[in-house]
Amino acid sequence: MDKDTLRRLELLNQLSLTEEQKSEMYSFFDRRENDLSELSSIDTENTERMVHVLPILTVVREDKIVQNFDRESLQAGAPETDEGYWCVPRVVE
Amino acid sequence: MRYETVIGLEVHCELATDSKIFCSCSAHSYGAEPNTHVCPACCGMPGMLPIVNKRVVDYGMKAGLMLNCHINRVTTFDKKSYYYPDLPSAYQTTQWFAPVAVNGLVEIETSEGKKGIRIKQIHMEEDAGKLVHDIREDTTHVDFNRTSVPLIEIVSQPDLSSAEEVEAYLERLKALLRYARVAECEMAHGTMRCDVNLSVRPEGSDKLGVRTEMKNMNSIEAIKRAIEYETARHIDAIENGTEVLVQETRRWDDIKGKSYAMRSKETAGDYRYFPDPNVMPVVIDDEWFDSIQASLPEFPEVKREKYTTELGLSDYDAEQIAKSIALCECFEDAYSVCGNAKDAANWMISEVMSNLNARQMTYDMLTLDGKALGELISLVSGNKVGRANAKKILNAMFDDAAVVPSKYAEENGFIISNDTGLMDKVIKTMVEADPKAVADYKGGKEKAIMAIYGKCMKELRGNCDPQMLRTKLIEYINSL
Repeated sequence: MDKDTLRRLELLNQLSLTEEQKSEMYSFFDRRENDLSELSSIDTENTERMVHVLPILTVVREDKIVQNFDRESLQAGAPETDEGYWCVPRVVE
Repeated sequence: MRYETVIGLEVHCELATDSKIFCSCSAHSYGAEPNTHVCPACCGMPGMLPIVNKRVVDYGMKAGLMLNCHINRVTTFDKKSYYYPDLPSAYQTTQWFAPVAVNGLVEIETSEGKKGIRIKQIHMEEDAGKLVHDIREDTTHVDFNRTSVPLIEIVSQPDLSSAEEVEAYLERLKALLRYARVAECEMAHGTMRCDVNLSVRPEGSDKLGVRTEMKNMNSIEAIKRAIEYETARHIDAIENGTEVLVQETRRWDDIKGKSYAMRSKETAGDYRYFPDPNVMPVVIDDEWFDSIQASLPEFPEVKREKYTTELGLSDYDAEQIAKSIALCECFEDAYSVCGNAKDAANWMISEVMSNLNARQMTYDMLTLDGKALGELISLVSGNKVGRANAKKILNAMFDDAAVVPSKYAEENGFIISNDTGLMDKVIKTMVEADPKAVADYKGGKEKAIMAIYGKCMKELRGNCDPQMLRTKLIEYINSL
């Protein structure tokens, strides 16, 4: 993990790390890199991809409309609403 | 130096389901109050589990088969990291590792001839919500009604090389998806959206140039304008060094006729796709696959061919009816009852299409019972109902799907009685009331009789055999 890569990860995750946190991250990623190297050494050429950890498949529902929730209850915990909208800090100039 | 444009398209189509892809909220909220078609799942509340709408998979498969794709029998959903307030969970649930359909082919036809466009993949995913920026200056307002509305994204290989080809490709996609009834595909309604990936390279070169992605085109015409502008911009940059081309996403401004840089282009790695543990893999067994394959319609060109060669329709009539699967089905049902393809086609093209236009309905919105139309056509061709009254019956059938033509005709006095006594009486009265027309007719002006004929028909409320009325009228005048 180098400085530029960590900076890129910060941007992608919308984070701003302190120097102390960055230092922890370097050490964390170095450890994970070793784990990944070990995993990469295993030959999986003829191994079928595991698609899910649970043996449950095809959980689907019929295409039927059920409207169980009202706006007021869903917005009850929102920091700010206005005219039925959730409000967030402005995202365009 | 001559250049060639290399274009790949990412086309998003909203699927025509009733409910959303991962929850049971209505997928149709156009014009609705904000945040009235939402639930904890599509609002991204912690702990909510998505459950896949089976019809979305049905439609994903149908779309894949219509575009000659291979269907992945085990298809999975993945999380795509995405920080923007229009998707409250901070990721989009989409398909990356095992999309529903891959490796397809769509044939297009342009002035240059026929060409195959390869489809890389079709994946199913959720739409984002809508952001409103103009209510207050300091705030963005968020409406999640559209969040989790089901989409398919159709990703082509970079096989397109001109605006004309792109138009043909999009029209072909629209026709096929509408035929399969999986999507409306109306750019003006936002149910079809298209991003254009474009680069330019010297003709004959096999090395791709710098690629830009353009968004925000709201019509096929706008897409064509954007492609022409962007191609010229790339060539200008290469030849004259007017700017340095960089891989980026650009926004098309159709009013100004220019594209503007939005952001540097993300790579797949930036999205950090990973399998969504909350959505179980979907396994498409043989029974499910076969039922979808059996439900596929014939292609438009197959319909056209069948109508001309087997049913004897003109190329024009076949083309008109094959424009929509709804028209085709109505026509075929009508023909199966009335037994006269030309009559059925005439009614479809004149009366049915006029009714749709008058009601501002698209052809695909037609729900008229074709068998009932066939019965109506039989009533007219069997001289049981006059054409003018038949049009009134058709109008009633559009208003009320329960209208049965023969019953409606009886209830409203539209059945031709051919009561010769009444006909003779009306003819006598009308002839006596218009001696000038009679004199003109006898003087050689054959058309003069039409005025009297029209009055007779009106008096009889259209309930007579037109040919019989005409014959009896001429006989009566000649006898004077």
